[in-house]
Amino acid sequence: MSLVAEAFVTQIAAAEPWPENAALYQPLRDEQILLSDNAACLAVQAFLQMCNLPFQVVSRPNAEYMSPSGKVPFIHVGNQVVSELGPIVQFVKAKGHSLSDGLDEVQKAEMKAYMELVNNMLLTAELYLQWCDDTTVQEITYPRYGCPYPWPLNHVLAYQKQWEIRRKMKALGWGNKSVDQVLEDVDQCCQALSQRLGTQLYFFNKRPTELDALVFGHIFTILTTQLISDELSEKVKNYSNLIAFCRRIEQHYFEGLNRDGSARLPPPIRRKILRS
Amino acid sequence: MASPMELSCWGGDWGLPSVHAECLVVMAYARFSGAPVKVKIIDHCWRAPRGRVPLLISDDTVISQPAKILNFLRKQKYNADYDLSAKEGADTLAYISLLEEKLHPALIHTFWIEADNYYRVTKPCFASRIPFPLNWFLPRNMAGEALNRILLTKGGPPLFSMAEVEAQIYRDAKECLNLLSHRLGTSPFFFGNMPTTLDAFVFGFLAPLFKIPFPKVQLQDHLKMLPNLCRFCDDILSCYFRLKLLGVSPVGPDTVDANLQKLTQLVNKESNLIEKMDDNLRKSPQHPPRKLTTLKLSRTGEGNSSPNRLSP
Repeated sequence: MSLVAEAFVTQIAAAEPWPENAALYQPLRDEQILLSDNAACLAVQAFLQMCNLPFQVVSRPNAEYMSPSGKVPFIHVGNQVVSELGPIVQFVKAKGHSLSDGLDEVQKAEMKAYMELVNNMLLTAELYLQWCDDTTVQEITYPRYGCPYPWPLNHVLAYQKQWEIRRKMKALGWGNKSVDQVLEDVDQCCQALSQRLGTQLYFFNKRPTELDALVFGHIFTILTTQLISDELSEKVKNYSNLIAFCRRIEQHYFEGLNRDGSARLPPPIRRKILRS
Repeated sequence: MASPMELSCWGGDWGLPSVHAECLVVMAYARFSGAPVKVKIIDHCWRAPRGRVPLLISDDTVISQPAKILNFLRKQKYNADYDLSAKEGADTLAYISLLEEKLHPALIHTFWIEADNYYRVTKPCFASRIPFPLNWFLPRNMAGEALNRILLTKGGPPLFSMAEVEAQIYRDAKECLNLLSHRLGTSPFFFGNMPTTLDAFVFGFLAPLFKIPFPKVQLQDHLKMLPNLCRFCDDILSCYFRLKLLGVSPVGPDTVDANLQKLTQLVNKESNLIEKMDDNLRKSPQHPPRKLTTLKLSRTGEGNSSPNRLSP
């Protein structure tokens, strides 16, 4: 988007208040969505909840193709469509809702840095595990990714996506990493997050920011998703303050919302891990 | 560590020990931690490794990639982060991610994709270090790899033209520079008075932008508007790489070099102590709050756990 176009969009966005019928689109939650997409969707849901903005979650099998950036989730507000956490945060800010206004410049720099840490390490590791680890690809990723489509198409689309992600991994230098190395990176990232969080309620003490939403999305998804092995969630479970942090956000922002379906979390069986 | 460690790097120019960002990172870290690394500059020799530079060779282990080399040096007890708290260690990791995601793409673009820069500066500079027939192909290969990386990681919908991708990359990079400038504030290094891993990374990524006279300079101009980052680069160049600037052959840390390094570290520690004593003095009530503003800035820079500690 050019600068002019962006300024234009911001101006329009600022003119209208947040409507009642905003919608967040994501893939089918039970049978289709993948680990990394679920993390991204949950992060945006948490962010909107923290901003106290009403929205409806709409599941669509073709959400990925509806999104302007080809990535889920995206929100439909008034007559505008915005996808992914970063642009959504900008958009919501233009409407006058911001979680990070109270931070000073150094804290803002720190928040951005930690958000990049999550994107750079956790997100890439999730993509690596679900598209480059052969057993996971065969047993989880292919069946789930292709589930809404009929026979030849499901393979074609899943293969295309895998090819694309693998090329990206190669360009990033993750092409010849082993699973153990990737898990090591995840551990390092979680350790950093855990140390940064310490005993605080949220990353910047009492008030949540978009960083909290992002970390919640990823950590909660990793903890509650059943993969081939438990290696990934075991890495995260070593950090008790991160688990407590997820539980806190879940209770504060998602409890009681499950019934009317406006924000939905994984089914209770998978959530046991968090309770125990 | 009995056997010498040898580090293969691209050579330097324009007052830089190396023109290659990742080589600079490793060289700076080696200086900061006092690791006795013998720097081997890639020359016209056919046998010089060019693929995955920087490359550290110790005994029979060969390590590429800056992060891995730094880990290896740390395991050899050459640790520049020894004094950092756990939280500062976490911050280091986070800021390095920020650099990788936001600044690195713009750096790659400035070097390899921006046509003017590539033909007038990058290509002649790298080709002059590669023997004859290879100098026709290797720079082109490296540029191809760079373009591939940018397109794969930053391209894709909704950015369809290269111009849009470029605009996005440079916007991210400028934001990253601003964030770094805020984070550094007025303190000499990112975590107080001693350079650490993060300083090595920031220096490695910024110094080429700062020193190399590219024809297309949009990011350079922005960097030059942030005086504290420029001062940061100059300080590291003059304190840790001074001998090279004077024209002594960059073969490695000879004795004079090592002595100088020890001296600098000593001076740094000394100034650290003085600073602490100063701090104590300033905190005493009868002292007029003369330097409170600068002090406050560097304090918040060191960690925001106690931002209000100095407010009256």
